[in-house]
Order: sequence, then C-alpha cells, then structure tokens
Amino acid sequence: MKKIQPTILKEMCNFLPQRMMRWNAVMEIIRKTFEQFGYSPYDLTVPLARFIATNYQKLSFPFKCYQIQRVWRTEKQQKGSLREFYQCNVDIIGSKSLICEAEMAKIIVSVFEKLGLPNIIIKVNSRSLMNVILKSFGVNQNESPTVIRLINKITKIGKKEVISKLKTMGIKNAESIVSTLIPEKTNRKTLEKISKYRPDELKEFLSYCNDLGIPEKNLQIDPTVTRGINYYTGLIFEVVTKEDDFGFICAGGRYDNLCSLFSNKNFSGVGISFKFEQIMFLLEQLKIVNVRSFPSQVLVTIFDKNTIKEALQIYRKLIEANIATEIYFEPDKLSKQFRFADKKGIPFVVIQGPKERERQEITIKQLKNGKQKTIPINQIVSYFSNYYEAENN
Amino acid sequence: MKRKTIRIAVQKEGRLKKDSVEYLQSLGLEFSKEDVRKLIVSCKNAPVEILYVRHSDIPQYVQYGAVDFGIVGANLLYEKDFKVKVIKQFDFGKCSLVIAVPLNSPIQETKDLEGERIATSYPNSLRKFLEQQKISASIIEIKGSVEIAPLLGLADAICDLTQTGKTLRENKLKPIKTLFDSKALLIESPFKSKEKTEFTNKFLAKDL
Repeated sequence: MKKIQPTILKEMCNFLPQRMMRWNAVMEIIRKTFEQFGYSPYDLTVPLARFIATNYQKLSFPFKCYQIQRVWRTEKQQKGSLREFYQCNVDIIGSKSLICEAEMAKIIVSVFEKLGLPNIIIKVNSRSLMNVILKSFGVNQNESPTVIRLINKITKIGKKEVISKLKTMGIKNAESIVSTLIPEKTNRKTLEKISKYRPDELKEFLSYCNDLGIPEKNLQIDPTVTRGINYYTGLIFEVVTKEDDFGFICAGGRYDNLCSLFSNKNFSGVGISFKFEQIMFLLEQLKIVNVRSFPSQVLVTIFDKNTIKEALQIYRKLIEANIATEIYFEPDKLSKQFRFADKKGIPFVVIQGPKERERQEITIKQLKNGKQKTIPINQIVSYFSNYYEAENN
Repeated sequence: MKRKTIRIAVQKEGRLKKDSVEYLQSLGLEFSKEDVRKLIVSCKNAPVEILYVRHSDIPQYVQYGAVDFGIVGANLLYEKDFKVKVIKQFDFGKCSLVIAVPLNSPIQETKDLEGERIATSYPNSLRKFLEQQKISASIIEIKGSVEIAPLLGLADAICDLTQTGKTLRENKLKPIKTLFDSKALLIESPFKSKEKTEFTNKFLAKDL
C-alpha cells in the first residue's frame, strides 16, 4: 500500500519535545505573572469586543482578563508571519485611569525580568499628542495616516529617507516634523522638547511608573511610535530589545471604541499583546535557558524481573513527592537503560540490585560523570528534593 | 503609633551576648543586667531599650525598623540578603563557615563534593558557594547540631560555623574548606528618625 508522506502545512508548527517543554515553561511564567496581577482567563473563541458586548451585564468592571491560546489565521502570508501562533494578551476594560497603562508597563517589566531579559525597552507614545503635533505642522487629516506610516519607518530606513519621502508627498516642514518626533537621550529631554504640545498624559504615566518602581532604563518616550492607526486612541506601547532585528516582542495601548461595532455602550480599554513566537526565538537565539529543558530528573531502572515491585515503589515515592521521574518499562540490560536516560537528557538513574535491596539502600548514578553513591532508601526523596543543580555544569 | 525610644537588639543567649552587652555599657548606657529572663530592659540614663531576642531574628527586626540597631554575626547577613546598614565591625564573635567531612571520608577537596549530601543550617551560604564552584549537591537543611549528621548517616559532609574547631574534632570531622570568616557587626535599620539621629550623635558617633 502506498504510504502517506507526513508533512506539515505551510507556516504551521511542529515541535520536538525538548522545544515544546521550553515553550510551555515560558508560557507558564507569563500566565503566572498575569494571574499575580489579578487577571483571569477567558475563552478566546470570539473577539474580545464581541465577548464584552454580549456579556457586559455579567461582568464586573473594570474587567481584567488575559488569554493565552493557540490560534490559526488564514491571512495572506507575509515573510515571517505565521498562520498558527499564540495569542498572549492582557486587557483592562472599563477604566480610563492612566494607572492601567502603568500597570501594563509593570506587567511587561515583570514578565521579561522573569524570562531573563531585564533590559527591554518599552517605547511609549500618545496617539492624541502625535495628532496635535502633526496638526501644528499643517499636516491635514487625510495626509496624517501616510505620514505616520512613514515616520514609523525611521528606525528601518533612516531619517534622511523618511524626510525625502515626506517631501515627495508634498509635506512642508518635513525636517522639523522629523526632528520634533525623534526621541532625545533622556525622557526628560524629550518631554522638554515637546512641552509646548502639553504631554501631560505621558508625564502622569511616567510618574505612576516611577511609583511602581519601573526602572527608567526600561521606559522610553518615543514620539515616532505609531502602532495601529485606527485602533488605538491613547497611550501606545512597543517593546523592543537592544537586539533590534527582532522587532517588537510586545505591543499594545489604549483603545476607546472597542465595542462600538456591537454596542452603544462606551468601553475604554487598555491591552497589550506579547509576541510569543518572537520572544521564544529571541530566548533561543540568546541562549537564555532559565527553564528546565529536559523532561525528567530521575529514571528508575528495573534491575531484573524479580525487582519490578521495588522499582515501582521507588518510582511511586518520587512521583508522589513531585520529583519529575520516569520508570523504565522493561528489565533490559542496565547499560541499555542508562543509554535511554542519557539520550533523553535525564541526569540521574537510580538502581536497586539485590545487595542494595537487602540493606534497604539505593544507588544513585549521575550520568554526566558516572559518579555513583549509595544512600538509605528512606532518604531518596530528600536527596532529590534538596538537590542543588549548579549551572553550566 | 510613632515610637519615641530607641531599640537595640542583642542575642538572648549564645556566643555574642556577653561582648554585645559589654559594648553597650561601654557606650555609657546604664541598664540592669540582673533580670536575665526579661526580654526588654530600659536604660536608666537614656530613652533606650535593650531587647534580648533570638540571634537569627535580629536582622529581620532591624530591616523592618521594629528595632533601630542590632548586634549580629556577619554569617547571618551573608546567609540572607537583609536590607540593613552595617555601621561597625567588632573584634569579637569571630568564627568561620567551613565545610567539614569525617576523618576517614573519601572527600578530600571541594570538587569531591559533587553529588554528595551536605548537612547545614546555612543553606543559602552553601548554595552561593556551590554556585561559585559549579558543584551540584544535595543540601540537607538541619536547624542545629549539624555535626552529628554524618554519624547518623544523614550526610556525607557538613557546612557549619566553627570557632576553635573543638566540636568538629569531638565529632571526628575535619574542615576541608573555609567559605568565609565572620565577626560581630553593628547594624542599623534603613528608616530615619529624629530620635535615631540624636542617639547616634550622643552615643555612637565617637565610636564609629
């Protein structure tokens, strides 16, 4: 019979176990942080707007929710875009306070710190402020979306190129527009430069961030940040790393017209979206592995047919003590069982032969160096649960 | 309610107590040493209270500002990262945190500790050391009398404080590595107050 050739669909994922473990571990860090800040999950089978519009009477506001879920999109494929990816969002619906935005910044800093990326930069801008600035330079409403799109490319194509393109469009004051919008070295200087446009929102936000202990180095007022032209209405965020090629690893902002399509009620919300795949690629590229990348810590071997019962009891003890443990399923040659553990990256095997059994002892073997030690069987849980694993070892 | 008195915490019982009390007296503070069961003793000549508490609790009291000053062993601060200010190092309370093994142990040097069981009351200090040395081991936490752990078959080595080495010898143990040397410290809480400044100027300044 002709066999089916197993392939995966374009732009969809198929991970081997080690990589999947890493992904799950990172997802768990993000999920725990969201919950620590008081967000609850909701089911993302419908868009948030529709969900809120349908259920607003059952929800208490401000409604704080998160979703971490795999989604599939049939969007036209662009380079680097996936058709299968993780949504990883938090939103606050129903509060206009800028404390919400500061809370988002705190969540961002907390998540990335836990992931081993403490030096991320949250670029912040105000949509309304940008409109005021553009208007003051005589850019009209029809022109501004194109102008904004061009300005957004400053980091990619450079200042000169943007100015010349603006000029071709017939925009006057192109140089002044660009030099007004490019951020200065410090937030204080940037705010000074644009002070006549009254950046009050940004100032209030920064002061809340300061109170929440968000380090200055993680925040940059950047008036060139433009984010989703039609959607966002207030402060907007883009999170980048010093390794700029990766683009945004998180982004979001304030939206005021979320449910206008579905309801007459006015809901103001703030939301951010973690770009899960980009974050994972970044962590993998930078070789940041502060997550356990092997499945189990211990393999319980089976010495021979007559000791299956004992092996199962040891296995049970370890599993019940929450130590990641596996048991080998056959009384194969010990060397074969060791090779199995080695291939899977399991660092320890435990062996109880007839001698150990008689003395109520167990032998623990470290596979990386072959070192063996025998301890009383009663201490096995304590040995592993108190084990300190030194890094780079 | 805001406290008007200055509080100084010293060890209730143990190797630092005598020297700590003598130091406070040398500053000119007058207080009774008679009532040994009393936990709080007021000074006669200043708005100062001496608190006799568990040694290991002192850094926490000072960190939270429940007391203003404390006298503790450096080993305690090394064990946990307390947010306190060290304002003086004393010449008393000298001891070392060491790793020791039974006299007949095959463990001879630091690298032999890989994969072994080490009993200690100082798990964080030990972990820091293992981290520096890139050694993995099982850390068996025991609150006191760590020296008998190898004899009981609970551990292959210990990590404990030693002053003269006498207790180690009595339990047939020999040190193979010193993690660090410790002495008594005067520590101060991170909170400011008018009373504390006055106390510092009057009693401590000449001595710091």
